[in-house]
Amino acid sequence: MRPSRLIAASAVLLASAAALTGCSGSGGSSDGASMTLWQNSTTGPGLQFWKDAAKSFEKANPGVTIDVQTVQNEDFDGKLQTAMNSGDAPDIFLQRGGGKLQAMVEAGQVKDITDGVTAATKKVVPAASLGAESLDGKVYAMPLSVLPSGIWYSKDLFEEAGIEGTPTTLDELNADIAKLKAKDIAPVALGAKDAWPAAHWYYNFALRECAPAALEKAAKSKSFDDPCWLKAGQDLQAFSDTKPFNQGFLTTAAQQGAGSSAGLVANHKAAMELMGAWDPGVIASLTKDEKPLPDLGWFPFPEITGGAGKPGSILGGVDGYSCSQAAPPQCVDFLNYIATTKEQTAYYKAYNSPPVNTEAQTAVTEPYLKDVVATYNKAPFVSQWLDTVYGQNVGNALNVGVVNLLAGKSDAAGIVKTTNDAAKKG
Amino acid sequence: MTVREQLPTGQRSSGPRSTTEGGVPTPPSAARRRRTTGSWRSRLEIAVLTGPALAVFLLFVIFPVVAAAYYGFFRWAGYGVPTQFVGLQNYVTILQDPTFLAALGHNGVIVVLSLVLQGPIAILLALLLNRKMRGQTLIRVLIFIPYVISEVVVGTGWSLILQTTGALNSALQAVGLGALKVDWLANPDVAIWTLMGIITWKYVGFAVILFLAGLQGIPEELTEAASIDGASFWQIQRRITLPLLGPTIRIWAFLSVIGALQLFDLVYIIWGQYVASTAGTSTMATYMVVNGRNAGSYGYGNAVAVVLFLVSLIVALLYQRVVLRRDTEGALTGKGR
Repeated sequence: MRPSRLIAASAVLLASAAALTGCSGSGGSSDGASMTLWQNSTTGPGLQFWKDAAKSFEKANPGVTIDVQTVQNEDFDGKLQTAMNSGDAPDIFLQRGGGKLQAMVEAGQVKDITDGVTAATKKVVPAASLGAESLDGKVYAMPLSVLPSGIWYSKDLFEEAGIEGTPTTLDELNADIAKLKAKDIAPVALGAKDAWPAAHWYYNFALRECAPAALEKAAKSKSFDDPCWLKAGQDLQAFSDTKPFNQGFLTTAAQQGAGSSAGLVANHKAAMELMGAWDPGVIASLTKDEKPLPDLGWFPFPEITGGAGKPGSILGGVDGYSCSQAAPPQCVDFLNYIATTKEQTAYYKAYNSPPVNTEAQTAVTEPYLKDVVATYNKAPFVSQWLDTVYGQNVGNALNVGVVNLLAGKSDAAGIVKTTNDAAKKG
Repeated sequence: MTVREQLPTGQRSSGPRSTTEGGVPTPPSAARRRRTTGSWRSRLEIAVLTGPALAVFLLFVIFPVVAAAYYGFFRWAGYGVPTQFVGLQNYVTILQDPTFLAALGHNGVIVVLSLVLQGPIAILLALLLNRKMRGQTLIRVLIFIPYVISEVVVGTGWSLILQTTGALNSALQAVGLGALKVDWLANPDVAIWTLMGIITWKYVGFAVILFLAGLQGIPEELTEAASIDGASFWQIQRRITLPLLGPTIRIWAFLSVIGALQLFDLVYIIWGQYVASTAGTSTMATYMVVNGRNAGSYGYGNAVAVVLFLVSLIVALLYQRVVLRRDTEGALTGKGR
C-alpha cells in the first residue's frame, strides 16, 4: 500500500513539474510573459537595483513579471551552464562576454539582439561598448557598465612618501615605488592567489607592447607567437625584479577580507593596486567603517617607450546582460530599459562603478570615477580583459603562467609556451 | 572494490577451517544453500532488497564513470551535446603536460610521505595510549579532534596562520627566532612540506584510532606469556604486537594511499583555484578542476578524471593483490569482533 502511494504521489509531482515547465515555455506567445533574471549581487544595493528595475518594468508593461534570482558569483558560470544544458536557462542573465559568449553563441543558447537595440539606446550607449558585446557584427548582450583597468592609490600614502602627482611613465612609477619603499610602505598590493589580478599586469604590458592588430590576431588564432607577447613578459619580469609587490603576494587573495589586496589598500597597508573600476566598491566594503576610502585616487597604467601599442589605450571589461535563445521578446525590451539614463544612473549609484550610458556618466561625482570615465572615453583603443578575449582555457593558463613568472618558477618565454599549450586542451 | 567484496565470500567455505575460533558458520551456509536453490520467492526478495541500492549504485557510480569516459573523447566546452570527436588526443595532451606530470609527482610524494610520517607516529601513539594511564580518554580525544574538523575549517585556519605575515611568522619574530621565518605557503621549496605537516596533523588521529582498535584485538595472554618468559616491553612490541597488528596497518596504509591519490580539498582551500601548481602542491584532482571545470574545457577535464580513476584503480588492485592478499580474510572478516 505504502510504496504504491508513494509512487503515485511522485508521479503526480513529476507530471505537475512537467506541466509547469511546459507552461513557462509557452509563456512568450501570449501578451504577458514571465521571465527569470539571474544576477550575482547577493546583498546590498546591487540586489536592490535589480529588484527595483524589475518592479518598475513590470509596472510599465502590465502582464510581464520578472523573477529576480541571485546566484553567487563563483557558482554563477557552472549553474548557468547546467541550466542551459537542461533546457532550463534563465531568460535574462549576466553575460561575461569573450570566449564564454562565443561558446554560448555556438551552442545556440543566446539571443541575437542586434535588431532589438532601439535608436534611443544607440543614442546613449556608445557603439564601442555595444561592440564589446558583439561577435561578427551581431550584438548578444546589453552593456551596463564599463570597468577599465588602472592603478588605484592612496593619496595619503603617496604624500607621506613625498610623491607629487601621479606617474605617467614606467620609469616614474618605478621611482615612486622606490620612494614608497624608502618609507617602509608596501608599494603595490597584489592578489596573486586569484591569478587574474597578477595577470592584469601582464595584460597591461601586452597592451603597451602589442599593436591592436596583434591582439586581435591572437584572439582568432589562439597562438601567441608575435614577439610582443614575449616582450610584455620581459617587461613584467623586469618590473617584478624591483620587488614592488606586498610580502606574500602569492597567497594573497584579491577581494576577501582585510588581508586581501583590496583590503591592504583599504587599510593603508599598501599604496597601490592595479584593478578594474569595480575596485572602489570592493575597497569601500573592506575599510574599517565600510565607507568609501576618502583618499582614493586613480591613474591609468603608465606608458612605456618603444611599444607598438597606441598610447592611451586602455584595458577593461564591459559588464552586460544577455537574453537566452528561448526568452520572450519582452526580454529585449527589458535590456533596452536598463540602458536608459534613469536606470543607468541608479546602476551607477548602486554599484559605484562607471555606467556605460553617456548621459548617466554626467551624474558621476567621485573624482576618481570621473578620471576613469574621461580616460576611457579618450582612449584610442579599448581591449577586453585578455583572459576573457582568449576564452577561459587559454585565459586561465595565461593567468597561471604570469603567476609562475612572478614566483620565479618560469620566465617570459614560459608564459607564451603555457598559453600555446593550453589551446590544445579545449 | 569488487575484488574486496568477493574475496571474503569466495573464501567463506575455507574460512572456518583456518580460523580457530569460528565454530558456528555451518548452519548459516547450509541455510543459504537451501534458500538459493529453493524458491523463486527468495530470489524476488533478493531482487527487491538489492534493487534500489543497485539502481542507485549504477546510476550514481557506474554511469558517471562511463559518461566521463565518453566525454573524455571530445573537445567540449560544456554547452549542448559534444560534437567534436578527438579520439585519444586529450589523453596524449594530459600525459605530455608537464603541469600534470608535476601534479602526479606531488601525489606520489604525498602518498609516500603520508605513510612514512603518519605510520610510525601513529603506531607509537597507539602503543602509548594502549597502556593504562591517567587522562587516557582526554589524550585520545585530543588526538582525534583534527580528524573530525572539516577540511574547509582546517584549510582556512592553517592558511591564515601560515601566511607570510600570519600568526606563526609573527610568533617566531616575537620570540626572537625571526631568522626561522619562512614563506610557508608561497615558497615552492617549502610548501609541500607545509602541506605534509598539515595532513599529518589532521589524519594521524584516524590512524591512531584504527591501530588502537587493532591493539584491542590482540589477546592479552600472548603478552603475558611472553613477559613470563622474560621478554622486555620492546621485545614484546616487536615480536608480538606489531606482527599481530600487521593486518590493521596494511588496511590503514591502503586507505591512506587512496586518500593521498585523491587529495583535493585541503590544497584547494589553502592555495585556491590557481596557485597550487606554482607553489608545488597541486594534485591530480586540483589539476582536473583547474583545467576542466575552471577552464571550461569539460571534455579535457573528463579525460583527466578517467586518468585519475585508472591510476587509483590500478594502485588499489595491485595493493589488494600483492599486499592484502595474505590477510584480507583476517583483516576484513576478523576485525569487527
